[in-house]
Amino acid sequence: MQTVAMLDQVGLLRRFLRARVWHGAEWYITVLGSAILVTVATLTLLAPVVAPHDPNEFIGAPFTPPGGGRQALLGRNGEVRIAPGANLNGVVIGVQRNRNGANLAKRLGAQGVRFEDQQALLEGLKTGEVDLIFLDEDLGRELVASDSQLELVADGIGLRFLLGTDNLGRDITSRLIWGARTVLGVALSSALLASSLGIPLGLISGFVAGRLDKVLSLTMDSIYSFPGFLLAIAMATMLGPGVINVAIAISVIYIPTFFRVVRGQVLSIKEQLYVEAARSLGARASDILTRYIFPNVIPSVVVVFSLNIADAILTEAGLSFIGLGLPPDVPDWGYDLSKGHQFLVAGRWWMITFPGVLITLVAAGFSLLGEGLSEMLNPRLSET
Amino acid sequence: MSPRLWRYILVRFILTIPMLLILVSLVFFVMRMLPGDPALAILREGASDEQLAAFRAVLGLDRPLHIQYLDFVASVIRFDFGISMTRNIPVVEEIKTFFPATVELAVYGMLVTTVLGVFFGAFAAQHRKSPADYGIRVASIILYSLPIFWLGLMFQMVFGAQLGWLPVSGRLSPGMTPSESITGMYTVDAILRRDWVLLGDALRHLVLPSLTLGLVLAGIFTRLTRANMLDVLEQDFITAGRARGLRERVLVYKHGLRNAFIPIVTLLGLQFALLLAGAILTETTFSWSGMGRLIVDRIYDRDFTTIQGSILFFALLVAGASLVVDVLYGLLDPRIRY
Amino acid sequence: MADRSARGDLLLQIQNLNVSYKTRTGMVSAVNDVSLDIYRGEILGLVGESGCGKSTLGKALMRMLPASASVEGQVLFNGRDVLRYDSGQLRDLRGRGISMIFQDPMTSLNPVQRIGNHLSEAVLVHESGQAKSGLRDRIGLLVERLGIMRQRLPDYPHQLSGGMRQRVMIGLGLVLNPDLIIADEATTSLDVIVGAKLLDQLREIREEFGVTMIVITHNIAQVAELADRVAVMYAGRIAEVGSVYDVFDGPRHPYTRGLLRSVPSIKLEDREELYKMPGEPPSLVSPPTGCRFHPRCPEAMPLCSQTAPDLRSVVPGHLVNCWLYQEQPQQDAPGLRRDG
Repeated sequence: MQTVAMLDQVGLLRRFLRARVWHGAEWYITVLGSAILVTVATLTLLAPVVAPHDPNEFIGAPFTPPGGGRQALLGRNGEVRIAPGANLNGVVIGVQRNRNGANLAKRLGAQGVRFEDQQALLEGLKTGEVDLIFLDEDLGRELVASDSQLELVADGIGLRFLLGTDNLGRDITSRLIWGARTVLGVALSSALLASSLGIPLGLISGFVAGRLDKVLSLTMDSIYSFPGFLLAIAMATMLGPGVINVAIAISVIYIPTFFRVVRGQVLSIKEQLYVEAARSLGARASDILTRYIFPNVIPSVVVVFSLNIADAILTEAGLSFIGLGLPPDVPDWGYDLSKGHQFLVAGRWWMITFPGVLITLVAAGFSLLGEGLSEMLNPRLSET
Repeated sequence: MSPRLWRYILVRFILTIPMLLILVSLVFFVMRMLPGDPALAILREGASDEQLAAFRAVLGLDRPLHIQYLDFVASVIRFDFGISMTRNIPVVEEIKTFFPATVELAVYGMLVTTVLGVFFGAFAAQHRKSPADYGIRVASIILYSLPIFWLGLMFQMVFGAQLGWLPVSGRLSPGMTPSESITGMYTVDAILRRDWVLLGDALRHLVLPSLTLGLVLAGIFTRLTRANMLDVLEQDFITAGRARGLRERVLVYKHGLRNAFIPIVTLLGLQFALLLAGAILTETTFSWSGMGRLIVDRIYDRDFTTIQGSILFFALLVAGASLVVDVLYGLLDPRIRY
Repeated sequence: MADRSARGDLLLQIQNLNVSYKTRTGMVSAVNDVSLDIYRGEILGLVGESGCGKSTLGKALMRMLPASASVEGQVLFNGRDVLRYDSGQLRDLRGRGISMIFQDPMTSLNPVQRIGNHLSEAVLVHESGQAKSGLRDRIGLLVERLGIMRQRLPDYPHQLSGGMRQRVMIGLGLVLNPDLIIADEATTSLDVIVGAKLLDQLREIREEFGVTMIVITHNIAQVAELADRVAVMYAGRIAEVGSVYDVFDGPRHPYTRGLLRSVPSIKLEDREELYKMPGEPPSLVSPPTGCRFHPRCPEAMPLCSQTAPDLRSVVPGHLVNCWLYQEQPQQDAPGLRRDG
């Protein structure tokens, strides 16, 4: 028995290593998918370390475009003589209504005064209400060039936001990285839930057959044919918001998929001669299930699991888009997309582009993995 | 049509009934039986006790569950989906108003999907294991990994906002009124009424939404077509045909497709469900006044009866589509007909 | 009855044909240096075990092999090399010059295409612009000759019996009056009685139409009954070729001998065991060196594992690929070791 088990393991490893030779491009597809996923998974796990900021903190000016965020310090021409690194105690600096500016002022030891908008800010500087003002870097340089009254005191101050900020001034990069946790968490949980129901039901139904099988199959087929997203909407509406509820809502869609695949496998394996042989030698049902059927079912289950996660990610994003998703304090890609929708018209493209790209990337990663595995594990007719 | 075919259709029809029952029960389960109080779920906190009580009374939520269930099923059979809670008109009327728009979108979307899917799927199958094949496969996976609404938004941004070529919302430009409604589908009505200006406008509004819906589904459909075509092209009769001097093109696109189409048609049934699901998101993105938008809006409005009725309607559609597909299958496959 | 060994002129000349496939486990040498002549009007039986390369050889003649196969050598059909044909010439050849009858008639017919349509399509591809009525008559006559009623032409394949489907296949092979018909395991999927009928039909076709045939099969008895000449293949090479009388009455190659011995005979005495050739057919990825049969040959010599023999005449018309019947190379020729 021991030897047999070892041989199985060796077989698996050998198969994996030879897979590249045997399967050529499929292997690359699978590897590509896995690479994407491993990267994302690593980022997810390392979120606290990798993310530059807290995803919920209003850290920057709203609608900062990607790469922007840096501030410049402007003063009245000829008046200000401040050496770099000097203490600005007592100096009054005008800032716009966001935490970034106020924090900066505080850090420099100066006193910050809030203005409603840019116009008022410039006014304040020119009238002497404040000594200096903070402005977006590019804008600041532009104004200094065109207006002789203004002078650039310093620039390159403050934070740069790689992917920009959203409408509330939150750093998009951080939101995306933290959002990965949410998205993957929900998708994974829903897949686990679905498989924990679908697989056993499929095993039993396929193995026992008869009336039970007929009833279960019909039920599962009906659920399967129902538009999944609609089902998710219905459940999410009735269950209410919350991470767990969303996961449950999504998982229901995939129970039939696991059921069908497992049941199909069970049926075909049951027919195989070696199972009949085992049975004629007196093997018990539980033995047949665990020794013959279950191990052969695993490859297909892995494939379905992977594809399931891909779909769950998209479904969750869709739910968030319509407003049935997670509560607002949880960073989530779908939520960002739905919020960003309104601002598209104003040209703020970065709020929806990056979350969308990530959703596509991760979903595609799981799909590539699933498809590649599927081809390798259940190959179509070989070349010769 | 032979008696065998009639018998087949009849059997299929009878089999649809248990499916329908299961679907209706599913909706009942989700809408009434999930843990928690439906009244509270819909009306949320902040609703007064009177409001909650009124809600329950209208829907009969106080009665025993099995009575509710029988009543529910009975009302479905009567096509009585109740009265909208926010608009005070029968839900059926609401559905009648909004459904044609979804049909129109779905039809054009399906067109895009089928044309792209069949062509690229057959092509990929014919040139199996070539770079083109892998390219098509990877492209299909990426296509259906795109969130539909995101693709829609990207289209809106590029073609609407930046390039200004195409309209990004609604079914018609402001100021245009649709022709007198026969089918409710603006393009069809326009053709029937010979209103070419309207037809042009309606078509322009259809381009982006149907492309969005069609492209994403094409990703799935291409994959399915390719798989079926591969199965067919490996069959002996294709080789036998080649041995008689038939051209590759004829073998793949005529004989191959004709055989592959039969299982593909059954897959269209699955596509239909995906189409409906995708329509919800597409309509929301493009402010398209169809069933999808209806459901989403009424969820905001907490209009329970319309939500429930719309979902039931979709369930009926799905069962109906399944039946249609089965019948089509019977018509297409001579092994069933004769 | 026609003299079974009388020959017409040369119809097909296979010269040094090599077919190899690239598979996951390596390069498979399916057909190795095969040369064979086929004469007009004869029936040549091509026999061998499963995997010996006979089907591959048959398919190679019409270039019906998958793209992963590499083919070398020459196949001269009416003097022109088929392997150098372009796609247009190839399509013309298929069905009209050479046609093929396949093994399984159920899967070889398009399930959604009517029988009559199968036939008319084949004709129209090669002879476009046929008048509809003329075509219908022609096809009707053909199928009736084969024993199918004209009224069955609008039927679909699944409506016909197995034997009828096979006759349709033959019809498809005949409809364009080809010079050569290759029957690839045509009786393998049929039961004995239907298969026997098919053989009769093939014989009649040769009598009536004068068609040349290559009958590929693993059933030696059928070949003995039907063919004029027989070629025995082993591991991708031709072991022996000759008239059926010469080969079956006096087999020379040890493989042929073993093959004939292992055919069960009704006259088997009590206690006489069935003969089984020792060993297994070799892997074609790494075939044995020298003569590919040497590991199993009861008369193997050291030379056999070093160098492969050629297919040479023993008596006129009877060729054998074995060192037993050929002048062995000089012992002090460079590269060869001594016996011992």
